[in-house]
Amino acid sequence: MIMNPDDRQPAERGLSWWALLLGVAFGIAVALVYTWEIDPVIERNTAPWQLSAADREDYVIAVALSYTANQDLALAFDRLRALRPDQDVWSLVADVACNRIKTGQVVTNSDIRVIRALEGLYRPQGASGCADGQYPTPAPVTLSAPVPSATPSPTLPPPLTKTPTPPVPTDIPQTGEIIPTRTPPSGGYVLSRLESFCNPAAEGMIEVRVYDRLGQGVPGVQVSVTWSGNERDSFFTGLKPEREAGYADFRMTEGRTYTVMVPGLTGDPRSVEAVPCEVTVDGERVTALTSYRINFTQRSN
Amino acid sequence: MTKRYIGSLLVGVLVGIAIGVYIGWEQFPVEYTNSSIAALAPRYQEEYTVMVAEGYQVDRDVNGALTRLQPLGKANVFDYIQDLTERYISQSNVPAISPMVALAEAVGRRTPIMEVYRTTPVPTPVPFPTQ
Repeated sequence: MIMNPDDRQPAERGLSWWALLLGVAFGIAVALVYTWEIDPVIERNTAPWQLSAADREDYVIAVALSYTANQDLALAFDRLRALRPDQDVWSLVADVACNRIKTGQVVTNSDIRVIRALEGLYRPQGASGCADGQYPTPAPVTLSAPVPSATPSPTLPPPLTKTPTPPVPTDIPQTGEIIPTRTPPSGGYVLSRLESFCNPAAEGMIEVRVYDRLGQGVPGVQVSVTWSGNERDSFFTGLKPEREAGYADFRMTEGRTYTVMVPGLTGDPRSVEAVPCEVTVDGERVTALTSYRINFTQRSN
Repeated sequence: MTKRYIGSLLVGVLVGIAIGVYIGWEQFPVEYTNSSIAALAPRYQEEYTVMVAEGYQVDRDVNGALTRLQPLGKANVFDYIQDLTERYISQSNVPAISPMVALAEAVGRRTPIMEVYRTTPVPTPVPFPTQ
């Protein structure tokens, strides 16, 4: 049986449906790997429900604090629903409060206020959790006004003494406002200066200054101080602009060793010790607690 | 025969890529569920900031407020507070102005435009008693 060549032609000229389907499947697979794994949609315009557990907790706390201020329950509900659509939002708040207590995140007065704010939001809505009543709001204290005495006895001002007060050495304050500049957070910081000084007027102080790579003070940098292993405090630069834009300070307790850190610190953090020191003031030896100047400078890339 | 298969395969691959890109970027894009506050849409970031500012109005804990704003990842959080406050004033976003002004003032970023919105009364000077 001999096949006529004209019979084969239409099939050879047209598409092979098997190959076409195979190609489509392969193309879709390649494209999905590319769009989902290699070059996915850039993460922006994220909604609150997409937050991680830790950041969701921060968001809930902010909602609770806001509710404490404005007492707008509908607004708080809407904000929480953005975090957890179609679910019980009040139990979410109770869970956050419980989790903070369980994980030992209630250390400072600020932390206690947070727990109270959370509880003040979820308990009236009927939710409950392990944080219930752990930090009750203290009853308001009524102070009785002192009764003025009928016949006030005039007090004479004390006579001036002839002994002049010895001048106490003080640091020369910085004059002039330093306008902070925008500083990119990348690059990290290096410890550029660590020195101790002895000043009875400012004893036991850790004076932290944070500079960018141009030498300008950087406000809003969180400085963490740890001591005694697990004790910790943090504060921010720039809250004393009369000193410097990138200035912050912390008072030490005698006998403790403190470790000072800023975010992105390159190299090991340095520790300072609150030990006594002596300084001569007007020919007289004065004992004070050692203070420290610690500067961090943004690293050049 | 081979040419026919290869041609069909290439056409199929092109069609498949087009379909896959449409699915992957438009129809079912990647949805992140472990995001940080820094990735929030601007309107949610700003709402979060106002909530923190309202909290500051209650507890007056500026360190606590700044700690809560750290996750936003702003290069200069003081500039951010000032800019947002001034923008709310210019937009007459009345509910947000008062807490934001209080927070801006707490971080030393009170500007003349904020002056009339301050809630903290300015202490009047007490005259010295005359003899």
